[in-house]
Amino acid sequence: MEERKKEIIQTITDHFKDAVSNPYDGNRVDFTIPKQQIPAILFYLKDEMGFNHLSHISCIDWLEDKQFELVYILWSYTDRVKVFVHTRVDREQPVMDNIDMIWRQANTYEREIREMYGIRFAGLEAPEEFLLEDWQGPPPMRRDFDTYAYAMKTFWDRQEARSNAQDVRETIRRRTGEELPDFAKKYSR
Amino acid sequence: MSFIDLKGTLKPLTALKQFGRKPHTLKEVPFVPLEAADRYRGFHYNDIEKCIGCGNCATICQNQAIDMVPVEGIEGHKGDSGLRPRIDHGRCCWCGLCVDVCPTSSLSLTKDYLYVSDDPDSFLWMPGVDNPDGKERKAFTGTPETSLNDFQRVPMPELEGMERVKSFAEVVLGYNEEQARAEASRCISCGLCTEACPDHMHIPEYINAIARGNDADAVRIIYDNNPLPEMCGKVCTRRCEEVCAIAHRGEPIAIRWLKRYATETARNADIIREIVNPEIKEPNGYKVGIIGAGPSGLTVAYYLALRGFDCTIYEANPKAGGMTMYGIPKYRFPEESLDKQIEYIQKIGVKIHFNTKVGKDIPFKEIYEKYDAVFIGVGFPKPWTLGVEGEDLEGSIQAVNFLYEINNGKQVDVGDKVIVIGGGNVAIDAARVSRRLGAEVTILYRRRVQDMPADWEEIEGAEQEGVHIIPQAIPVKFHGDEKGHVKAVEYLKAEMVPDEKGGRPRPVPIEGSNTIIEATAVLGAIGQQGDYSFLEGVFAERIKIERGRFVVNEKQQTSDPKVFAGGDAANRTADAISAIADGYRAVKGIEEMLVGTGKDV
Amino acid sequence: MREKATTLYLGPQHPGITGNMMIRLKVKGDTIVQATTEVGYLHRAFEKLAERRNWLQSFTLMCRFCVPEPDPVEESYARAVETLEGREVPERAKYIRVLVLELARIASYMLWYGGQAGSLGLYTIGQWSVGDRNYILDLFEELTGGRVYHMYIWPGGVRRDLPMGFEEKVLKTMDYLEKRLDDYEDLMFDNAIFRKRTIGVGIIDPEKAIEWGVVGPPLRGCGIQHDVRIDEPYEVYDQLDFEVPTEEGCDIWARANVRRREIRQSIRIIRQVIDKMPKGEFYNKIPNPHKWRLPKGDAYVRTEAVRGEVGMYIASDGSEHPRRVHFRGAAYVHAVTLLEDLLVGENVADVSAIMNSLGTCPPEIER
Repeated sequence: MEERKKEIIQTITDHFKDAVSNPYDGNRVDFTIPKQQIPAILFYLKDEMGFNHLSHISCIDWLEDKQFELVYILWSYTDRVKVFVHTRVDREQPVMDNIDMIWRQANTYEREIREMYGIRFAGLEAPEEFLLEDWQGPPPMRRDFDTYAYAMKTFWDRQEARSNAQDVRETIRRRTGEELPDFAKKYSR
Repeated sequence: MSFIDLKGTLKPLTALKQFGRKPHTLKEVPFVPLEAADRYRGFHYNDIEKCIGCGNCATICQNQAIDMVPVEGIEGHKGDSGLRPRIDHGRCCWCGLCVDVCPTSSLSLTKDYLYVSDDPDSFLWMPGVDNPDGKERKAFTGTPETSLNDFQRVPMPELEGMERVKSFAEVVLGYNEEQARAEASRCISCGLCTEACPDHMHIPEYINAIARGNDADAVRIIYDNNPLPEMCGKVCTRRCEEVCAIAHRGEPIAIRWLKRYATETARNADIIREIVNPEIKEPNGYKVGIIGAGPSGLTVAYYLALRGFDCTIYEANPKAGGMTMYGIPKYRFPEESLDKQIEYIQKIGVKIHFNTKVGKDIPFKEIYEKYDAVFIGVGFPKPWTLGVEGEDLEGSIQAVNFLYEINNGKQVDVGDKVIVIGGGNVAIDAARVSRRLGAEVTILYRRRVQDMPADWEEIEGAEQEGVHIIPQAIPVKFHGDEKGHVKAVEYLKAEMVPDEKGGRPRPVPIEGSNTIIEATAVLGAIGQQGDYSFLEGVFAERIKIERGRFVVNEKQQTSDPKVFAGGDAANRTADAISAIADGYRAVKGIEEMLVGTGKDV
Repeated sequence: MREKATTLYLGPQHPGITGNMMIRLKVKGDTIVQATTEVGYLHRAFEKLAERRNWLQSFTLMCRFCVPEPDPVEESYARAVETLEGREVPERAKYIRVLVLELARIASYMLWYGGQAGSLGLYTIGQWSVGDRNYILDLFEELTGGRVYHMYIWPGGVRRDLPMGFEEKVLKTMDYLEKRLDDYEDLMFDNAIFRKRTIGVGIIDPEKAIEWGVVGPPLRGCGIQHDVRIDEPYEVYDQLDFEVPTEEGCDIWARANVRRREIRQSIRIIRQVIDKMPKGEFYNKIPNPHKWRLPKGDAYVRTEAVRGEVGMYIASDGSEHPRRVHFRGAAYVHAVTLLEDLLVGENVADVSAIMNSLGTCPPEIER
């Protein structure tokens, strides 16, 4: 398998000059590539290299980098090798190419990512609404959407009956008169 | 397929053979339900007596189903927050993680799973309090094998026993970064330790800072109420570790070693200052005189200096540190480590007059009049004597004086057979130092080894280094040779007699069990006392002393409002961290007295 | 004659399907001309919740992704975490995991029996199979403490060792089930109604199958022999001897037959597992969960569930919390794009039978 992995990496990096191969053990081959080349590399992997099964498409919000990361995971039934293709998309202007003509099920993945992260897929034909219903807020899987605040605002909490709950650290601190400086508080549990 | 599929039509009729089968979800027909399995995850049960209220269950619960609430009849104390978990069964998902993270294994799940009510508030229960009968129905319980607590301490690298005795090199080598992160990660951040620490250091916070890889923050948190943390990181008596939640079933978090690790990342006084970067207030014009540069005096000086006071310390010895300098051997606490901390305190603006003994070089009266407040942290310099025949022979030395001389860089000839009398840390220190001087060492202690007040690790370390311990031995006489030098010690074996009043067993000498062992030197280490001769005339009356210690209030104020006291001369615990705690309290007391609480200003 | 198309809202409840989803059908007479799936009844935001929880707390969410077969999801999460961290799992734990996975597979197929038969009006089988499934749930209760949500396979191994005498109980249950399977087959596969309603219904074009991401029994029902347990063996599947059955029909009948044969293979695997089960540790302890950080990076593992290949993608930013947990359900692929395509030209009455044969699981789609 190691040889076949080398061959795959060689072929891809020859064909796609911008593809960077990331080393991994086992049956994993991993590339990072600019987003413009995603359809091309996926087409190539499927048609020329035998990676005919699209196993997964995932999206990660790297809020601190102001980017979304898209991961395409393909599987070759003949080589028994997984290929990860990573790309980054600008978070302010999240636009991506649609690939549901390569694998039909990508349509569902893209629909969900569009709804949950707000990434537009150029040319995606699918109903706007997928999992959410009448959703007015920001795309909820984004890191800056605070689920807890939303839940507290939206759902009734049994405040009264549970109001005598105490924090263990705070209880002990009060008892001993320990003065905890503000900068240390972020390390309390 | 033909139009009438005969087989396909008749085959289903075989179903009729199942007619009249007994239902298997019931134990007995008509209605005796099956008992739940032995591991069933039903309602919670908590052993209230065993629970220490650490709140780890509430922290792991992802549904916020667990609240920690006070219970009637349970008082919080050291090692117990006094709170107990209450479950919101409407939120519980029965994952049982609370059981697997419980450090004491007091929490378990039971076989009960049926409860019906139309009042949602009635789903709030306190396991063990509201369902005492759950004890009989315990099912899903925690065991050490399945626990999520990490019971094994990261072992501390040390010099090998026989390697140690060759020099005064530091025995404990300290954690490296990886070890420290791993050890810090064992902490469950409950904070029970902070109550046991006399100084109430912010232990969970700095450990968490280390675990997250932020050593600078850890140092900053540590310096918030301890100006000698590296000393504590090496030689603290660590009462905190005794109450550690993990210690109930495993080894406590190495709180002391983690503090040591963090403070050692700051390599010199300038780096400490850069990391701690303390805010130093504008001078407020008040002057404070401090007697004794031990842990309590240094603490008072450091924190008052930060608050804008002008602090001056009078120290009888040529170096600061008090007992931590002269009492603790250098293989435990190297001098450069102490110097670095003293230098930092001096850089903050604390003035120290060395070689200035109050009462001899400067009268107490002068200090009293010159300063707006006085802090006395003079410690216990005078050793107790054994009161046995031959104690004044040559070669019979007080262990404290012996350690003082050694730490002062002097040579002390103890010969090759040293007897140490006592079971405290001073005794062990004297024994281990004597080993390093090349002598064979025997410790005589009147009680059993497990009764020795010294740190367990110290006793173990001494044994590894080849120190011989004779427990239940009461010295009765020192024999001298013709030149008046000690040559042997005579002791009686003792038996332990239970105390009728319920105290610890007393050693009672066995008549006629006299044993004599040879000795070239005898080091007595049975305790020290205060020396308050510097308080003359009116002060001796005005400043009250009872049972050898200053009488102080909760602000460490003596009966003279202007005079504060702390350290061994004021508390009964007699360790460095208590002295620091005294100092820290005195800082607040002095500040309050002189500038007010801040609220008034 | 021109027929007018009518819009029909089917669902959100369907016989034999766990969870809710609706299908908007355009029908002419009772023939479907267009199908659009409408999900959104069950979105519980588990993946978002996992980002707020630490790596261990998230494990308790995983079993809830798919109600009828929670264990493969649990297993895939545990294995993904182990892959990312490089944590070793004791051999015994691997065997116990396979035991749990295969028991779960049987339990899930029992539920499928009920659903598949029930969707065609054969209710007796459902009553039997769900009743017999209870025996497996009893085993789970004894092993894990829970009947449906086991929360048993966690990073590092499994939570508890096998209880005393558990192996014998498993073998006894297997013997019983094997006998009962004959009864089911008599009642279902030899039933004229079942044959008539399934043969030639819901045909997946085998040419398209891989391109459309079809996996599991639907793929094997097209005569294509792919199974993650063989293709990319995980745990100890490479040390076990079993067959992956295929059928040629591409229709509901073929898929049902694949499943029927697979149950027997699962029983075969379980017997081998019990036989080969090594002694030793069952759990490679993780550090204190509150301060357990995984290295920066990502991992993706695949598992064969009854619905087909499921996958777990996790990404870590080096903190105590997952950066991303993303579950790939087989139903996610089957029950949206494929189902919409498959239903065109079919009869309205066959919709739920087709859904069942694809292993539709709405909670898995929405997570």
